[in-house]
Amino acid sequence: MSEHEQTSDPAGASGTPEPADETSRRNLLSTATTVAVGAGLAASYGTFFFYAGRYLYPASDTETAWLFVARTEDLDRAGSIEYRAPSGATIVVAAKGRGEYLALSSVCPHLGCQVHWEAQNERFFCPCHNGVFDADGQGTEGPPKGQSLLRYPLKVENGLLYIEVPVESLDVARLDKPGHDGCLRSRTDA
Amino acid sequence: MSTLKRWWSERVPISGDELRAMTNEPVPHHIKHWWFCLGGTPAYLFVVQIITGILLAIYYQPTPQGAYESVRYITEEARFGWYLRSVHKWAATFMVAAVILHQMRVFFTGAYRKPRELNWIIGMFLLICTLVVGFTGYSLVFEQLSYWGATVGGNITESVPLIGPWLKRLLLGGDAYNEHTLSRFFILHAAVLPVVMVLLLVIHISLIRLHGISDLRFKDDKAGKKFNFFPDHAMTELGIGLVLMIVLSALATIFPASLGAPADPLTTPEVIKPEWFFYVTFRWLKLFPGTAAVLSMGLIVFVMFLWPFIDGWIRKRKPASEFSVFVGILAVLAIIGLTIWEALVAH
Repeated sequence: MSEHEQTSDPAGASGTPEPADETSRRNLLSTATTVAVGAGLAASYGTFFFYAGRYLYPASDTETAWLFVARTEDLDRAGSIEYRAPSGATIVVAAKGRGEYLALSSVCPHLGCQVHWEAQNERFFCPCHNGVFDADGQGTEGPPKGQSLLRYPLKVENGLLYIEVPVESLDVARLDKPGHDGCLRSRTDA
Repeated sequence: MSTLKRWWSERVPISGDELRAMTNEPVPHHIKHWWFCLGGTPAYLFVVQIITGILLAIYYQPTPQGAYESVRYITEEARFGWYLRSVHKWAATFMVAAVILHQMRVFFTGAYRKPRELNWIIGMFLLICTLVVGFTGYSLVFEQLSYWGATVGGNITESVPLIGPWLKRLLLGGDAYNEHTLSRFFILHAAVLPVVMVLLLVIHISLIRLHGISDLRFKDDKAGKKFNFFPDHAMTELGIGLVLMIVLSALATIFPASLGAPADPLTTPEVIKPEWFFYVTFRWLKLFPGTAAVLSMGLIVFVMFLWPFIDGWIRKRKPASEFSVFVGILAVLAIIGLTIWEALVAH
């Protein structure tokens, strides 16, 4: 019998059992197919969920920029001013003397509410959870005690004070928000 | 008629008797007491919420520019919008109350004990989903409370150790409240959480059917006395549904849902309060520093999840122990005390 005739003979047609190597080859192929299908499913669904996760998770951090605040000599004279960043955030910028300056965020470090300056008590107060901060932004009472208001980076160049702040804002309808121009005012006027 | 009947039975091969046998569970006699129907009450209110919610979503716009105006339109201009929004709001209040009362009933009657521990855990997930749906719901109005509530909620999430900052960014869609936050809250409120709740409810009710309702005997009940779920108990639930609908409509008419000042990201109101069901959490956050408050609340919730196993461990050592009852009374008094405290003071 030629080789061609041997291979073309259908398996089991003669009633003889399959050879052991035929069975093990079939098992190997079956296992390999299962693994390939499993790996393909894991890879395709994995890719899908990875892409979905990347889609859901925000892409970039908040954008910041260095912006001009005031001339240092003006700030030294005023003592402190309220600065409104393009994002809308209110920032207290104060002269500490000897060329040192401080820029305090109005966002409470406890849970993110807006603090406001109480001139009569010389303190910042957070109405959400009764947080109190002194004039330097140090938490003195309530849950944020021991924490401090966020300090924004400042730099002085040629007698001009610059601040690094977020530049994106939440565009809310129906609110007459002040623009970036004319956003400075003395804290004592607040 | 018989042709139609044959046509139907060929396509839906189940008879009325077979259907009755499948669905008609014998119910223990103590279920006649109305407070044992508190499990069906939130399920009924959930259906009310889905229907009114779909209707509200027709006009609602989940963007910072359009949200407040669309809620104002629903409340003031859309025909019967005020009614649907008010029913939605009152049904939410009732649903939270009914879930809490149902859980208290299950706790104090020991219905969470072996072999029903897993159903208690499913119930805990349903309680948390209900509270989160409530929270995301009032965030959608985009009034001052909505904005600052969402801001505080995002920052509470950030206080969770290890995954907190990641979770906050995922929830808010950025480092802080931004253009994409409201649509995320809307999808959570109107799609993700309701679907999760439906799945949990299916498991919850299936487990009740598989285990049967836990038997509890009152002095006036006879041992082993049962009655049919259908029509007897179904009629009781329908009656409760009717009363609820009348009460909801009356409250919606007498005390309709109002609209506060629009969200102002630059000014936190001098006096700010969440919805009543978060008074406990709000007061807790005032009493303890951020991370300590969040961790202690997390620990309490974790213990609540595992309570059937903790209770089982205690009862194995002291079978007559009434420890769980004392813990329950203490918890209820703490919840009531902190809620009243927060309700009475401005800050």
